[in-house]
Amino acid sequence: MQHMASLTRLHEVAEPTAIEVARLSHVYAGPEGGVPALEDISMKVAAGRFVVIVGPSGCGKTSLLMMLAGLRHQTEGTILCNERPINRPDPARVGVVFQEASLFPWLSAVDNIEFPLALRGMPKEERRRHAEAMLRLVGLEGFGGRYPHELSGGMKQRVSIARGLVQDPPVLLMDEPFAALDEQTRMTMGHELLRIWSTTRKTVVFITHSLTEAVYLADEVLVMSARPGRIIDRIPVTLPRPRTYEMMATDTFGRLRDRIWQQIRKTTQPGLA
Amino acid sequence: MPLRWPAPSTMRWLILATLLVFWELMPRTKIVPELFLPSLSKTLAVLYSDRLEYVEALGVTLYEVAIAMLFACGAGILMGALGGGVALLRNLLLPVFSSLYAVPIVILYPIFTAWLGVGSESKIAFAGVYGFFPVMLSTAAGIRTIDPQYVLAARSMGATLSQQITRVVIPASIPTVLTGLRLGGALTIIGVVVAEMLTSAAGIGYLVTRYRTILDSPRVFAAILMILVLSVMFDVLARGLERRTLAWQTAGRRPRRSREIMQAVPAGAPA
Amino acid sequence: MTRTQIILTRLVLLGLVVATWELLPRLGFVNPRLLPPLSDVLTMLGQLLGRAQVQEAIWVTAAEVIVAFMIAVPLGAAIGVLIAENDYVGDIFRPMLFYVFSIPKSIFLPMFILIFGIGFGQKVAYAAFSTTFVVIMSAAAAVESVKADHILVARSYGATRGQILTRVYVPSMLPVLLETLRISMIFNFTGVMIAEMYASRTGIGHLIANWGENFQMRQLFAGVILLAVVAILFNEAVRYLESRCSTWRA
Repeated sequence: MQHMASLTRLHEVAEPTAIEVARLSHVYAGPEGGVPALEDISMKVAAGRFVVIVGPSGCGKTSLLMMLAGLRHQTEGTILCNERPINRPDPARVGVVFQEASLFPWLSAVDNIEFPLALRGMPKEERRRHAEAMLRLVGLEGFGGRYPHELSGGMKQRVSIARGLVQDPPVLLMDEPFAALDEQTRMTMGHELLRIWSTTRKTVVFITHSLTEAVYLADEVLVMSARPGRIIDRIPVTLPRPRTYEMMATDTFGRLRDRIWQQIRKTTQPGLA
Repeated sequence: MPLRWPAPSTMRWLILATLLVFWELMPRTKIVPELFLPSLSKTLAVLYSDRLEYVEALGVTLYEVAIAMLFACGAGILMGALGGGVALLRNLLLPVFSSLYAVPIVILYPIFTAWLGVGSESKIAFAGVYGFFPVMLSTAAGIRTIDPQYVLAARSMGATLSQQITRVVIPASIPTVLTGLRLGGALTIIGVVVAEMLTSAAGIGYLVTRYRTILDSPRVFAAILMILVLSVMFDVLARGLERRTLAWQTAGRRPRRSREIMQAVPAGAPA
Repeated sequence: MTRTQIILTRLVLLGLVVATWELLPRLGFVNPRLLPPLSDVLTMLGQLLGRAQVQEAIWVTAAEVIVAFMIAVPLGAAIGVLIAENDYVGDIFRPMLFYVFSIPKSIFLPMFILIFGIGFGQKVAYAAFSTTFVVIMSAAAAVESVKADHILVARSYGATRGQILTRVYVPSMLPVLLETLRISMIFNFTGVMIAEMYASRTGIGHLIANWGENFQMRQLFAGVILLAVVAILFNEAVRYLESRCSTWRA
């Protein structure tokens, strides 16, 4: 506890807080009183930081992200984003990037990116200007007219990221966005994401199963326990930025990766720890 | 030299051409009596010489088909949307509808003629019921099988409930609904033809029956040929329309696997 | 809503339909000549079932249905397996069969009458003809539903052709096969009905068409109820078997 407190204090001094979660718990309604999914989660994410959450399958990572996005209500606790509570989706403050299937197949890439702006009733031309800028940002200039089924998996996720960023929200939530991609595309996309992040300076909360991806991307890795999900470790990633592929071969990278793995192993197989 | 089989599509045209040649030659060479199968040329000649009668009958049939389709599609989409969208109705009624589906709808036709007479009304009512089921069931299925991820994504972007319906649920269910409309349309044509054949005083189906009873085979086959062309043309048109509407996906194409065809065939579609 | 509540609500709805059917004509809201009260119809159904003429018609129809089914299913299944197993044949005929579904098969009834006359053979031939196509398609679908991976696994463990047939094909296809039989029976039944209603001297379809023409509404509704109940019972029985056989399916 002492260790965690000192860490958060360190961030507080550095930058203003973008996300603050206090004593959040969640219980799913069930036949016998309900299933506890999340337990006493508290965390602070400083503005502009890249935080990755890892944890065993079914630990409630996605539930936590849904609550940060205002898509699901927690049983207890509060979530503040830029010091105002989140209790419904607010795309101006929080953008979300989902796993694979979330591009609308009946809209072209550029129309998909414009979708959140169209919901607000922004005029067509203004919308198009924003969307084109986003396409350039994610490196898809000239692909705006394509439909999702005409794009590769990596390109779809680029469109999805552009859609999440088009309203310029200070916070971007990403739920295993690269899980469906092959290893090579995944590496490239991770690198691309860091490039986009470094030009936009968003606060990112990123969920993944891949330990390598976690260390490669994060300023800080939060490890969650098996259900009910709690945060059992916070690991600051001390690797310098910009990150390079070569860093993956360094001792520091290996040690960080190993520390996350030990924590996950402990929570999934307590007897072996 | 190994013998190479022609491409499947070439083979299909070859088979069709062979059938047409046989249709011409079998009766001519008296292998099949003219009464059973009049030759293609004779059938076409009759169709041309009696074109006024056939075009008039086609008009009646098309009018009945159009009105019946309007009813089948309107009611089918409405009920399907309710059944697919409202969980309560779905659990309560969809299984009942799929049980009722086993009943041969044609046995209801005598009731319609008794109630509405032998004119167009009874055909429209019968064909409307016939086409209603596939439209309703596929609309319900279309709405039910929307990937919940789409709705979730729209909500995360701040879509209101009405925006979720107009911008996500409706476009996402269009492919299935269009398939339903195509099947429903095909079934209303079948329904009208069957009804006209059974009891009526006008329409192409009526011509089939009238000329059958007086054993005028060329005129029977002229009417059959017209119905064949009508059904296939409707299918080609509807599929083309689907392809154009659904440029964003691979719909409207011919299904590659038998399973897809089966799923596209509603269980109550015989006749 | 729980399962019992759903069933109860359905019973209530059924009760409402029954009550409406009984009361509307009784209270004079609709002409009882057009819609006879349900109780009258059911009484008539009881009487009809006692008549020799009706019993004979039922037997004729049943025989037609069964014989047509026994012709259409093996024939269609054989063609269906050919289409599923032979890529070339499949590529040729699959798109053609698709059009066949949008064509009213009834337009060929005159040919069957010309060739077979009006009688048992003609009803059976037409019903078998109109059923074969759906059997072809669903048999092909059944064979295609067997996953190539499963066959590969079986072969890699040294399964013989016979073992692959009995241990991979049959269990994977069983649920789809039952569905095939069920849907074929619906088509088959409809085919017999249309043939009988179109031109016939006996059979339930013929009686129904006659009652309709002669405005004998009580007899007509009794006949419709009888056929509907038989069709629904058969359908539900096979569906029950389907659900028993496919517990392993997601």
